[in-house]
Amino acid sequence: MRADKTVLDDQTVELNLPSKIGYERIAIGGLAAFAKSVGFSSSRVEDLKTSVAEACINAMQHGNKGKPDARVLVAISFQENTLRISVFDEGEGLKVQPKDPDIERIIENLEPPVGFGVFLMKRLMDKVEFNRTSNHRHEVRMMMKLAG
Amino acid sequence: MNQRPNEIKIETHGDIVVLDIRGDVTAFSEPTLNTAYNSAKESSPKKIILKFEDAAYINSGGIAVLIQVLAQTRRNNQKIGITGLSEHFKKVFNMVGITKFAAIYPTLQDALSAMAALS
Repeated sequence: MRADKTVLDDQTVELNLPSKIGYERIAIGGLAAFAKSVGFSSSRVEDLKTSVAEACINAMQHGNKGKPDARVLVAISFQENTLRISVFDEGEGLKVQPKDPDIERIIENLEPPVGFGVFLMKRLMDKVEFNRTSNHRHEVRMMMKLAG
Repeated sequence: MNQRPNEIKIETHGDIVVLDIRGDVTAFSEPTLNTAYNSAKESSPKKIILKFEDAAYINSGGIAVLIQVLAQTRRNNQKIGITGLSEHFKKVFNMVGITKFAAIYPTLQDALSAMAALS
């Protein structure tokens, strides 16, 4: 699986991962190195790492649904002072956005402990979008602006 | 890529039990954390401290496991404190609401002192 681009510019990195929990750490290691190199602070790099790890985990679990030959593609680029990360999977995407988890209801066993991944992405990144791509992939697109 | 199993050391400090959790906290931590909590529960402690490694990777699966432990401590009328978190995960725990149910302390000594004073 590849993103739509076939020629990558010198500010874009792609990581093509097995769809297996644990490999999100490869993505966040590469992302952290990239984000530091363009000037993001340590605290913002931590926000990025959590957001992209959660997007990858969702892609592996819910998008690719454990298909052994499926892949997760992570594309990272920095342009116009903005870091853009897209995480692609081979699934259909979400028909309905999950509601924010309510910890009080979870603690009382009134709802399952799910939905934290998307919740954290939306809270930690400047912008998060969920799209279907022209080549029938699902994409989570995230953005973070470099302050100052 | 497999996650190394967590190692959890159980220490007793007066009426407080400390679960010293080594390693990353993810969905894979569930059996080890539940086993440690059940072992700690045998002495019927009223106060429990979860101590994490500062460099631990914690993801949403790990947060879900921790919330299930918090639910058990609530059912068992136990007070719970958390220490050892990086600044980032202090922020994340606050965002998801864990701090409504567990106080976060900067160091284990701070946690022990503050919780010893609780009735």
